Amino acid sequence: MKGFDQSVSVSLAADIAWVPLVQSVVEKWAPVCGLDDSKTMMLTVAAEEIVVHLARMAPGTQVRFRLEPGGWHVRVEFSFKADASDLWAMNLVTKTDTQEEIDHLGLLVASRAVDGFTLGVEGDTLHLGLRKDRAYPIVIPETIQPVEARGELTIVRDPEPELIKVACVKALGLYPSDAVPRSFFTPGKVVDMVGQKDLDIAVAIDRSGALAGMICWQAPSEQGISFSGPYVFAKAGQAGDLLAKHLINTVARTRAMGLFSELATTSLPTADFESLGHLDQIQRDGKKSEQGVWYRHLREDMGASVWAHRAYAEFLETAYQRQVLMRDLKLIEGQGEHLPERSVFSVQLRPDAGKATLFPMVTGGDAAECIARYVEMLHREKFSNIFIRIDLAHGWQAAMGKAIMDNGFVPKLVLPYGGKSDILVFQHA
Amino acid sequence: MHKFDYTQLVPSYIQAFEAYYPSKPDPELMRLYGVDHLHRLNNNENALGPPPEVAQVVEGFTPMAVPVYPNGDCFDLRQSLAERFGKDPEQFLVGNGSCEVIASVIKAFCEKGDNIITADKTFAVYEWVAEFSGFEARLIPLKDNGFDPQAMLDAMDRHTKILFVCNPNNPTGTYWDRSTMTGFLDAVDNRAVVVIDEAYCEYVENDDFPDGMALVEQYPNVVTFRTFSKMYALASLRIGYLCANPEMVGVIRRTHIVYSVNTLAQRAAAAALTNDGSFIRATRKMVREAKALLCPLFDELELTHVCGQGNYLMVKVPVSDTLMYRKLMTQGIMVRTMTGFRFPNWIRISLVQQPIMEAFCRVFRPVIEEIQGR
Ligand SMILES: Cc1ncc(COP(=O)(O)O)c(C=O)c1O
Repeated sequence: MKGFDQSVSVSLAADIAWVPLVQSVVEKWAPVCGLDDSKTMMLTVAAEEIVVHLARMAPGTQVRFRLEPGGWHVRVEFSFKADASDLWAMNLVTKTDTQEEIDHLGLLVASRAVDGFTLGVEGDTLHLGLRKDRAYPIVIPETIQPVEARGELTIVRDPEPELIKVACVKALGLYPSDAVPRSFFTPGKVVDMVGQKDLDIAVAIDRSGALAGMICWQAPSEQGISFSGPYVFAKAGQAGDLLAKHLINTVARTRAMGLFSELATTSLPTADFESLGHLDQIQRDGKKSEQGVWYRHLREDMGASVWAHRAYAEFLETAYQRQVLMRDLKLIEGQGEHLPERSVFSVQLRPDAGKATLFPMVTGGDAAECIARYVEMLHREKFSNIFIRIDLAHGWQAAMGKAIMDNGFVPKLVLPYGGKSDILVFQHA
Repeated sequence: MHKFDYTQLVPSYIQAFEAYYPSKPDPELMRLYGVDHLHRLNNNENALGPPPEVAQVVEGFTPMAVPVYPNGDCFDLRQSLAERFGKDPEQFLVGNGSCEVIASVIKAFCEKGDNIITADKTFAVYEWVAEFSGFEARLIPLKDNGFDPQAMLDAMDRHTKILFVCNPNNPTGTYWDRSTMTGFLDAVDNRAVVVIDEAYCEYVENDDFPDGMALVEQYPNVVTFRTFSKMYALASLRIGYLCANPEMVGVIRRTHIVYSVNTLAQRAAAAALTNDGSFIRATRKMVREAKALLCPLFDELELTHVCGQGNYLMVKVPVSDTLMYRKLMTQGIMVRTMTGFRFPNWIRISLVQQPIMEAFCRVFRPVIEEIQGR
C-alpha cells in the first residue's frame, strides 16, 4: 500500500452525537497504520475526549479532523475555531479541584493518552495535533568494547535497515544511555523514522565492512538541523571526523541555516564547531556532568531581529556578542494588554535521563503559576533536569521571560535558528 | 470557492529545493555589523571598475534611451563578438549574465529522466538549475582540487545530456590544459553536450590553457560560456554569452528569453571588447600583486591555501568559515564562506587593489593569531 495517501479526513459539527463516529474512525483506521490494540484504544480515547470537550464548550462548532499515518507514529489533527487558551487543560499539570477543572478533565485525559501534542494557531483557527507512537521491541544493551578498524574508512550514505539496527545497538553498548537518543533503544523505530525521512543516519565502515561509527540528524525546524553523535565504534581512526564532515557537506546546500548538537560526543571534531555553552546534567545517581552544545553556521549570517524580555536581555547580548551574531533585540514591554487567561505547555519527557523539556504553546496570565506547577510535578516524578525552550521569533513566547526566571530557571544558551528564529534554552537551577 | 492550496501545485523537486538568498544590501549589512565601510571580497568582482571605453558609454547613456526596448537578440553585440573572435554572429547567444544561458542550455537538451554531470565543488548554478528543473545532477568529486575527467566519463550513461566543465574552476582555480581537454572531448565522442564555462579565462596567463573559442570549431558538441561580469567588471549590468556552432545555437535559442539583456549592458559589453588589452593587463597585474601579498601571509600563518588561476584564492582557516565570516564582517571585510561549496572551513577571497588587500591582511592576521592562541 506504500505510496498511497492513507490519510482520512472527517468534517463534523461539535456534537456529542458524533462521538461514536469519531471513535469508530480512529478505532478502524489506527491499526491499519500499525498501532496495536492498546495504543489504538488510547488514541481513540484522546480523540473522543477532544470532541466531547468541544461539544460541551462550543456546541455546533465546525471541527475537521484528519488522521495521518507517519510510519513510526500516527497523527490526528483537529482544526476548529476557538481561543487557544481554552485548551489550558491540555497541560499535564491540570488539577481537578474545582468544578471548572473537573469539566476540563477530558483534555487532561487526552494529553496523557498520547505521546505528544502540538498546538498551532492560524488566524482564528486552532490546529491541535495528537501523536501516538507505534510500539517497538526494546533492546537491552550489553556493554561492548571498541574494536580495531581495518583499513580505510568510508561512509555509507543511506545505510540499509540491518546496518542501522546494528549501529543503534553498538552505540548503546559503547556510550552511556543518556548520551544516545532514546529511540536507539527501539532500533525498529529508528529504521522507520529513517524510512519516513524524519531522521537521517550515516554510518562509517572499514575495509572489511565492519561498522566504525554513526551519526544521526534531524530537522526540528525549517532552518535548524540537530544532530547526535558521532558515535565511534572503532578504537583508532578518523570515524568521528569523517562522519562530522559528511554531515556538514550533506546539509551545506540545504535550506538549513545552522547545525547544532543535541547529544554531542567527545568524538566530535570541535574545532569545526562553535561552542554554545553547556547544559548541566544530573544523573540518576545524583552525579553531575555537563553536556556541551556545539554549533555550526552553514551560511553567511545576515543578522536577524529577535524579541527579548528585560529579564534575560543582558544574557542574550553577551551570548550574541560571544558568538559574533548580529541581532537587533526588540524589547517587550507589557502594556497592560489583555492576555489569555490560561497558558498551555507541551512537555517532552525522557524519564531514563530524568529530563523534561517544556515548550510554550499559549502564554496566558497564569504563566508563572502554571510553570510552578510543572516544576513541582516534575520534581515529584524525579525529573531533575528540567528545561524550557522559547522561540524568540514570537513575542508571546519571549514575553514569558520573567515568569520563567521567577520560577528558578536560568538562561543557559541560545540555539541560533533552532526554531523559527533563535531558541533560548532555560534550565531549572 | 476552494481555498487556494499552492503546495498541491508545487512539484516535489521544487518543494525539496532551497532558494538561494543573496546577501542583504551593503548599507543594511554595515548597520547590522556596526561598521562604516565594507570591502566586498566575496563575489570576485573586478574592483578596478570597467574599462574606460565602458565608462564613456555609461556616462553618455541618455534618459531618452530608457523608454525604448533593447535589441531583442543583441544584434550589434553579436556582430562585435563575431569580429573579435573571427566567427559568425549566429554562433553567439547573449544572456542576462551567463547564469541565464546555463538555464537555456539545460532547457534545450534535458527532458524527464535525463541527467547532467559536473563536479561537487564548483560553481553551484549548474547543479541548482538542473535540480529545480527536475533533472539529476551527478556531482563528481574533485581530484587534487581539479575536475576529474575519467570519473566524469565513467558517470555518463545514455541519459546524460550535458557535462559542465568550469575552466578554470571556481573556487579552486585549477584548469584542464589543452591535452586534457581534447582527450576528454575525444572520449565524450559527441555523445553529449560539453559546456566549457570560461567565466574567468581572461585571468589565465598560461600558454597551455585551451581556448574554448577554438574548441567550438573543432568539436560540434562544445558550448563555451563567457561573461562580462568578471574581468570586464560589468557585473551589475548582467551580461554573459555562449558560443557554439550555429546549429546548436539555433536549438538553444528556442528556449532562450528574448529581450532579457538591456540596452546599456549591450552597449557597454561592445565597448569593453574595443579595449586594446591594457585593461586586462592592468587587472592581471593587480591580481598578481594581491597573490604576492596574501600567499606569503598564509604561509607564515601556516594556513593551507589554494591559489590557482582567477581573481580569487581559497584559504583554510582554523575555525568554521561561517564564524570567520562574522569575525571579519565586524571589521568591514566581506569574504565568501565555502561550506556551501562543500569546502567546510575554507574561505574564498577576491583579489583586488593593494590597499584593500593590505587592509584585509591587517584584519585577518590578528583574528587568526587569536584563534591559534599565538
Ligand atoms: C564559474 C562561473 N560561471 C558563471 C558565473 C555567472 O556569471 P554571470 O551570470 O554574472 O555572467 C559565475 C559567477 O560567479 C562563475 O563563477
